[in-house]
Amino acid sequence: MILQARNIVKRYPGVLALDGVDLDVAAGEIVAVVGENGAGKSTLMKILAGDVAPDGGDLRVDGRATRFGSPRDAIDAGVVLIHQELSLADNLDVGANILLGREPRTGPFLRRADAAVRAAAALRAAGLDLDPSASVASLGMGTRQLVEIAKALSTEARVLIMDEPTSSLTAAEADRLFETIERLRDEGTAIVYISHRLGEIERLADRGVVLRDGRFVRSFERDEIVRDRIVESMVGRDLAVDAGLRAGAGSHHGEARLEIRGLRTIRHPQHAVDLTIRSGEIVALGGLVGAGRTELLRAIFGIDRRVAGEILVDGESRRIRGPADAADAGIALVPEDRKSDGLLLDESISENLVLPGLARTAAGGVIRRPRAERGLAESLVTRMGVRPAIHDLLAGGLSGGNQQKVAVGRWVGCDPIVFLLDEPTRGVDVGAKAEIHALLDRIARSGAAVLAASSEMEELLAVSDRVVVMHEGRIAGTLARHDASESAIMRLATGGPAADVARSEIS
Amino acid sequence: MKRAGKILGVFGLLVATCVATSALTPYFLTAYNIENLLRRTSLFGVISIGAAFVIIVGGIDLSIGSVVALVGCLLPWLLVEHGVPIWFAVPGVLLLGLLLGLCHGLLVQRVRLQPFIVTLCGLLIYRGMARGVTGDQTVGFQNGFKGLRSLVKTRFEVPGLDGFAIPSTLLILVAIATLAVIFLRFTVWGRHLLATGRNASAARHGGVRTDRYVVLAYVICAGLAGFGGMLFILDVGSAQPADFGNFYELFAIAAAVLGGCSLRGGEGSVIGVIIGAALMQVLQNAITLIDWIPDNIQYAVIGAVIIAGAISDEGFRRLLLRRRTGTP
Amino acid sequence: MTNPLHLAAPMLASLILIGCGDSDPGAATSPQAGTVASPRLAYVTNGVADFWTIAKAGADAAGVDQGAEVDVLMPTGGVTDQKRMLEDLVTRQVDGIAVSPIDPGNQVDVIDAAAARTPVITHDSDAPGSARRCYIGMDNYDAGRMCGRLVKEALPDGGEIFIFVGRIEQDNARRRRQGVIDELLDRDADPERFDEPGGPLAGSKYTVLGTLTDQFDRAKAKANVEDVLSRHPDVDGMVGLFAYNPPLILEALDGAGKTGAVEVIAFDEDEETLQGIIDGSVAGTIVQNPYMYGYKSIEVLSKIARGEDPGIPEDGMIAIPARTIRAADVEAFWADLREKTGKE
Repeated sequence: MILQARNIVKRYPGVLALDGVDLDVAAGEIVAVVGENGAGKSTLMKILAGDVAPDGGDLRVDGRATRFGSPRDAIDAGVVLIHQELSLADNLDVGANILLGREPRTGPFLRRADAAVRAAAALRAAGLDLDPSASVASLGMGTRQLVEIAKALSTEARVLIMDEPTSSLTAAEADRLFETIERLRDEGTAIVYISHRLGEIERLADRGVVLRDGRFVRSFERDEIVRDRIVESMVGRDLAVDAGLRAGAGSHHGEARLEIRGLRTIRHPQHAVDLTIRSGEIVALGGLVGAGRTELLRAIFGIDRRVAGEILVDGESRRIRGPADAADAGIALVPEDRKSDGLLLDESISENLVLPGLARTAAGGVIRRPRAERGLAESLVTRMGVRPAIHDLLAGGLSGGNQQKVAVGRWVGCDPIVFLLDEPTRGVDVGAKAEIHALLDRIARSGAAVLAASSEMEELLAVSDRVVVMHEGRIAGTLARHDASESAIMRLATGGPAADVARSEIS
Repeated sequence: MKRAGKILGVFGLLVATCVATSALTPYFLTAYNIENLLRRTSLFGVISIGAAFVIIVGGIDLSIGSVVALVGCLLPWLLVEHGVPIWFAVPGVLLLGLLLGLCHGLLVQRVRLQPFIVTLCGLLIYRGMARGVTGDQTVGFQNGFKGLRSLVKTRFEVPGLDGFAIPSTLLILVAIATLAVIFLRFTVWGRHLLATGRNASAARHGGVRTDRYVVLAYVICAGLAGFGGMLFILDVGSAQPADFGNFYELFAIAAAVLGGCSLRGGEGSVIGVIIGAALMQVLQNAITLIDWIPDNIQYAVIGAVIIAGAISDEGFRRLLLRRRTGTP
Repeated sequence: MTNPLHLAAPMLASLILIGCGDSDPGAATSPQAGTVASPRLAYVTNGVADFWTIAKAGADAAGVDQGAEVDVLMPTGGVTDQKRMLEDLVTRQVDGIAVSPIDPGNQVDVIDAAAARTPVITHDSDAPGSARRCYIGMDNYDAGRMCGRLVKEALPDGGEIFIFVGRIEQDNARRRRQGVIDELLDRDADPERFDEPGGPLAGSKYTVLGTLTDQFDRAKAKANVEDVLSRHPDVDGMVGLFAYNPPLILEALDGAGKTGAVEVIAFDEDEETLQGIIDGSVAGTIVQNPYMYGYKSIEVLSKIARGEDPGIPEDGMIAIPARTIRAADVEAFWADLREKTGKE
């Protein structure tokens, strides 16, 4: 065993984040740590990496008791954490980032040649064919993730802790990352891998450890790792996986509620997009990162300027020059980045929930009525299932899943006609994900048109009536529910022919 | 409540300063002195409320002092030097203030310039305009325009309180503050303005017309600076364009920050800002009235008090944050 | 529409000419520039004020009489700004500079640096010990004593007075104030004496309660007067040493309903001060003769530039005496002033 953690305890004001957790990591194995948000995974990782000091328990490296006072101590002991939010300085080049803080130098002077050699070696070890003098700003997210790994390897890390490394990667980038991880394992590095994507864990992990509410639940050996069993022990209940959610929705949808005609975004002005969504219908928008899904949603909602195109809501052409116009037309967007775009983190849950519908609760549309606002906020907290259901708690204090419920809920109060969602369950744990899916189902059943962009195949297939796949700014094809499969979606997303696609669904 | 707590801090500071000053000098709590303090606080309060609006949307306005100078010099210049009728000159200079604010807002919102740069240039340009237009001459009312000047010079005797009168400027401040409080706390517009300052992107995604609120804040700020400039010149009677209103933007910004406005935007209380403005005036008054404090260290005292306020405020914020979020 | 080329051509030409002038190696080698028929002279003030507008009128008039080209510069940024102006004037190779140093004690090197390249004289405020050719103005200490005598006339039975001034670190303000104090305390003449502005200074009949400065912020200047009325409700007299101080004293007295109850003794000739003398709310004022400062400065510089004898006395001081203006003289003085400044 390289790293052993015994009986780790960590308290935060009002919360017992870790309650006597054990974790062993041996050389040449990949240990997956899974659990819902708030289960204590991130806290445990921070303790292992010296970011946070535990309140109790022992850490052993190579069998010797150790105490990490800072990340520096952990790095010196060979334990490196790669954060979920990448921490590369994009004003510096790749080589400078890899060696940041450990530059080879003579007195105050950088030894440039030496630095270049060391950076190049680290990049090779990470399986990256990249010039150390390349600019970080020009790299895609997947490459950046690999640069982070190179940075960790350059410190001669023996234990690599990865927190949600694929959350912003495309499928191809993720595959490349997995190959590198497997190679490092085979070369003897110990890897602790955290992810919500159970498919990745099935593929990679030699062992799985499940945490729930700050406690160790159980561990799985390689051949026991089956998603349903893991999910069950994560949430602590038998979860009806939402595969059958839209089964009963059928194909008898109502009138067209949203029609997009000839829409051209600034990013992809050469392609005109046409799309119609009917009452009660959930359309999933699939495609690779950069396919133009986010741009399409932002253009419909008026965040970005449109080069051309008409938007009709309930058959009526609407002039949308900004989000406020879109909201007036009955269109809502739950944006991809909820922390910066979706929520006011420093305001209370109720302030967030009532904001878009404020004028509707106000007398004459201007003078606020605190009682009406409070009533609306309380009913939304209940309907969305926000936990804890304390409406004057700051939104920033909620877990990711509950923040997302508030981001969706702030529009539910306005009864929108068209509901646009961009990556509605990114960074959300399994339990909250199912709740959000059920929420989309209810919204659709109430008669709204729903358009949800997602990078997750399972999500695309589970909650939609129809999957519209985009490729390089255009609609590559549409798959009806019964035709949709992971392989069909991937074929369209990568620009392949739409041979066996039922085109009849395109209005 | 968070807001009440923030006001309590600066209010406590004000009370403490008043108590200390009145203990150290018998002249502080005289009817005449209090009346003076009320009048000065009112004048600075008006421009500080303007500064607060811009700070609430996450901006800054450095041109306040120069707008005060421009409007303050133009008014007597138009009335006395050029015989422009009052009904034209007064609305004219006030409109000028609003227009300058509109320029600031559009440059910040549409042209996407940084507020610091836009209003720093405003500071230089309006000062230069004031000096250029008046030819660097001192302008004043020369004992005329008593009717117009009664706007700030009228005193309302309080029966039963010997010699104490409420200055009309206080009523003006109360009127403006009331409108500002109603706007910020009781209207949808105010909520939208606060949300814009808190997180413009999230507010915009929430259907708030953030661009309009940013422009509106600059219009309110420069408009109140212009109005304040008119009140200052009516009170003082004459102005030298080279130095009239110098540094007033810093007094206004300091009052706003003392009163609970965060330079990060999204937070602010009108009452707090007025208390902040009052605190600055009381401090200056105290330094003059107390014999053993040398007059020339007054800026040092003011600076020290603002830093003390900011430190206690930050401590308070962390305490609340810890309590409200539960988890770190 | 004017063709922009019509404008541009002469501008270009003049730029070239200026450039040529700058590169002429003979022009600035010696301060004794000698025989310039039409000298280029500069008149630098210590700030922006009506006082200087009158001085400018005098300087301009002398420029016409002497056939000199006169540039009047008014710094707004204090010492730094004035230093920059002097340096720029030397760079422009003017044939003479008259300057009113803001902080003479610390500006000797600046004045000397300029005086090494071109003749420099001081006016209004002197810089003793510098290489200036002469000083044109009044002795501020003497003027202060004149002001003190005016206080004695206004308050023959003695009393408590307070002094208001823009900045005390300025030499003319310091000497002026010291003159007032020394006269009221019946001390011997000693212009170098300095009483700290803090606590009261009591003499046999008169007490100077204190001195307050405002750094040229008028709202602050008025607030100072109000605060003194709070602090010393029984003050008998107020002395305003800078031109804008007396009107603001009147303004504050008016607000407090004390017009006439407190004697106001003024300095300089602000219109409201003069009106106050007519109305009886101001006892009197000490006026300098800024017109003559300007006129005499340019006259002396012109003569130096042309190599004529400027008529500088042994002690290097060309005195332009101050005058006391009381109710009896005010109308005539004001009429003359209006004529000189071109105001109606």
